[in-house]
Amino acid sequence: MPKDRLLFAKEGRACYISHLDLMRTFQRAFLRADIPIKHTEGFHPHPFISIALPLSLGFSSACEILEFGLLAGTPRREVPARLNAVLPEGVRVLECYEGTRPMRELQAIRFQIQVDFAGDVPGLCQAWGELLGRESWIVEKPSKKAKSGSVNVDIPTLVKEYSFTDLTENGVTLLATLSAQNPGLNPSVMVKALTDACPQFPPEFVRYRRLEIVDGDGNIFR
Amino acid sequence: MTKELEKILPLVQKPARYTGGEYRAVVKDKSQVDFRVAFCFPDSYEIGMSNLGMRILYGVMNGLPEVWCERVFAPWGDMEEQMRAHHIPLYGLESGDPIGTFDLIAFSVGYEMAYSNILNMLDLAGVPVRRADRNGSHPLVIAGGTCCYNPEPLSDFVDVFSLGEGEDVTVEMLQVCRRAKAEGWSREELLRVLAKVPGLYVPSLVDVTYNADGTIRAMTPADGVTLPVLKRIVSDLNTSYYPTQTIVPSTEIVHDRVMLEVFRGCIRGCRFCQAGYAYRPVRAKDPELLVQQGIAACKDSGYQEMTLSSLSTSDYRPLEALCDGLLDYCAPRDISLSLPSLRADNFSMGLMQRLQAGRKSGLTFAPEAGTQRLRDAINKNVTEEDLKQSCRTAFSGGWSSVKLYFMLGLPTETDEDVLGIADLAKKVLAWGREYGPHQRGGVRVTVSTACFVPKPHTAFQWEAQVDMDEYMRRVTLLRENMRERNITYNWHDPDTSFLEAVFSRGDRRLGAVIWEAWKNGAKFDAWSEYFDLQRWLDAFAACGLDPHFYANRERGREEIFPWEVTSTGVSRAFLAREREQAYRAVITPDCRKQCSGCGANQFCPGGVCDA
Ligand code: SF4
Repeated sequence: MPKDRLLFAKEGRACYISHLDLMRTFQRAFLRADIPIKHTEGFHPHPFISIALPLSLGFSSACEILEFGLLAGTPRREVPARLNAVLPEGVRVLECYEGTRPMRELQAIRFQIQVDFAGDVPGLCQAWGELLGRESWIVEKPSKKAKSGSVNVDIPTLVKEYSFTDLTENGVTLLATLSAQNPGLNPSVMVKALTDACPQFPPEFVRYRRLEIVDGDGNIFR
Repeated sequence: MTKELEKILPLVQKPARYTGGEYRAVVKDKSQVDFRVAFCFPDSYEIGMSNLGMRILYGVMNGLPEVWCERVFAPWGDMEEQMRAHHIPLYGLESGDPIGTFDLIAFSVGYEMAYSNILNMLDLAGVPVRRADRNGSHPLVIAGGTCCYNPEPLSDFVDVFSLGEGEDVTVEMLQVCRRAKAEGWSREELLRVLAKVPGLYVPSLVDVTYNADGTIRAMTPADGVTLPVLKRIVSDLNTSYYPTQTIVPSTEIVHDRVMLEVFRGCIRGCRFCQAGYAYRPVRAKDPELLVQQGIAACKDSGYQEMTLSSLSTSDYRPLEALCDGLLDYCAPRDISLSLPSLRADNFSMGLMQRLQAGRKSGLTFAPEAGTQRLRDAINKNVTEEDLKQSCRTAFSGGWSSVKLYFMLGLPTETDEDVLGIADLAKKVLAWGREYGPHQRGGVRVTVSTACFVPKPHTAFQWEAQVDMDEYMRRVTLLRENMRERNITYNWHDPDTSFLEAVFSRGDRRLGAVIWEAWKNGAKFDAWSEYFDLQRWLDAFAACGLDPHFYANRERGREEIFPWEVTSTGVSRAFLAREREQAYRAVITPDCRKQCSGCGANQFCPGGVCDA
């Protein structure tokens, strides 16, 4: 069980690199940086690389975690600079450290959700806030796994915290801490539900960014 | 990245194709360059990024400190729709700037079915598509690549064509263009000066007249311009640029690996093969240098796969030494090395076995024709015995499937030749049973046929293509005589082959047809999801031109060909001789055995080819 972790950011043009492509990109980056890493066992061994909680295409993030196993010879403190020299624009390693906490303790993700809306912004905040503040608000979400083609999601139970900031006449930023796994809530699902429920406040564009990952107590997870 | 772009990217498939920012993409400071180039590949990102030539010229152009060359690919339909809806003009991947403001738009054209994409990309860039509608305020539009050996069908849209290998001429052309920009030359002046650069063809400076029967009467160059324009080559591949530091796409492309070119040209002289004639003479690279470059390219990219790319790799003399050198590096690092285009006749089993250790899937041979007579006629010097030996070693070495490629509709082909394909496939199957590891049933043979397209600058440039009905009749004949369970037969759809035949030997009147088809929605014609033959037939009808005149007509011996504004260095007299030899089914020895005096030795120091 590899115990090394990278904390990295994914921003700008790199937001459009898919999860699978990003894994391949890191595999190659380790080779370019000449940093030997552990491989899987079995008939076709391949480098062991796992990126926790796949980021949706188009989202940016300041807190992605990659698990891997450093082979002897490379000090952890050298890893970020050596990888950053060979990574594509927008992917930046912030830290390399020994992972001690199990990934299941990663419970929630803080999102910055920038909503472009040149209209009644306070009205939007109020309407959306009312929905998020309910005890229960069940929406149907399409699902490939479910037989019926959709599942019910009780959104407020998966929203740990939320607040509106930076209100201007062109939009607002919604800060929301959402459940990360079992089950997790994708903020774009939440925004779609809000938009569908409040057709009078249709956002022109929404930008998503992961700000931080936290455990069940709201402390930063690493 | 602009906000507009940010809005549409989430709406399209595989958006990483449209962002740039890959490792080793060249980003320069705009204020430090004086000339901007949009290097366009008229197909998708995945295809374009797999092209070694494109990577070479990208490196060559960006090697000039004053020039910034950016990549542009054809956006897929969903992206085009969004770009048009949001008024986003076509942009360079490196800067995101609209290419309509650049100094030069250069296209790499390797396939006739990409012509409609050239028009579409210019239009998406907001640049007038026809050169007659452009002036000095617009970017200069230039094209290179193998299609330019017949530039005429594109001559309504392209200002300047670059013939042959681009490494040197591109630099010379850029220097002229930069000077023109600094000194404020008119477009006319610039074109006149460019027409004097060896290897550049300027269609606006040539006047074409026609006979009553539609053939060409004369192609008359303007004063001071000489025809034909002779292609350019790189004389020493050892000193020419090779991209050991090259872009590593962040998303999957078709050939996602290190591509190592061991030589250019081919000694063989297959009579149907345009590349074989057009890339003459053969020039090899030094094996030690190749090993160095291969290793450097792997290290720099992190690629775990390398392939030797050349026309007939097994003709490379030091192939064993090269593979040994590369394997010393690759094998312990799990980097796979592949060798496409090995010939059946000097097939080296030891080599294949070492290369493909553990990966014994399929083996590919291209006998091209089913009988020895027809193989002799096309000068494909592969015998049944060669094939048998190769299959024997392959099957006993553990391979269990063989792919065989053929062409239907080759000059002089009879039904006997068609049935010869079935015979050969059955023999391969029998050899598999005889020599294979699994005595019964384990062997698979896949036969593929494509419709022969007569190409300019080949021995068959005079020939008629068989019509589509006749091709399909031969397909049916073959299929009905090759019903074995272990033989799979795939045939290439003849519609695109027909259009290829039209455009590869077409004249400049076809510009109107391309324009018309594009106006009616033609794009990505190499892709079945977009291609529509009827749209093209309608365009011919609207322009009053007969496609069969171009595809299915045998040319007269003395006829003037539109592509003779260019020269590959191989003489027409030699090609005519080769055609005669084909009719007599007489083979011509390869360049290594004996020089046949094709004319390409004019490129060699001392006039002698080092085959
Ligand atoms: S001049 Fe002779 S050796 Fe050289 S390419 Fe032509 S035929 Fe071959």
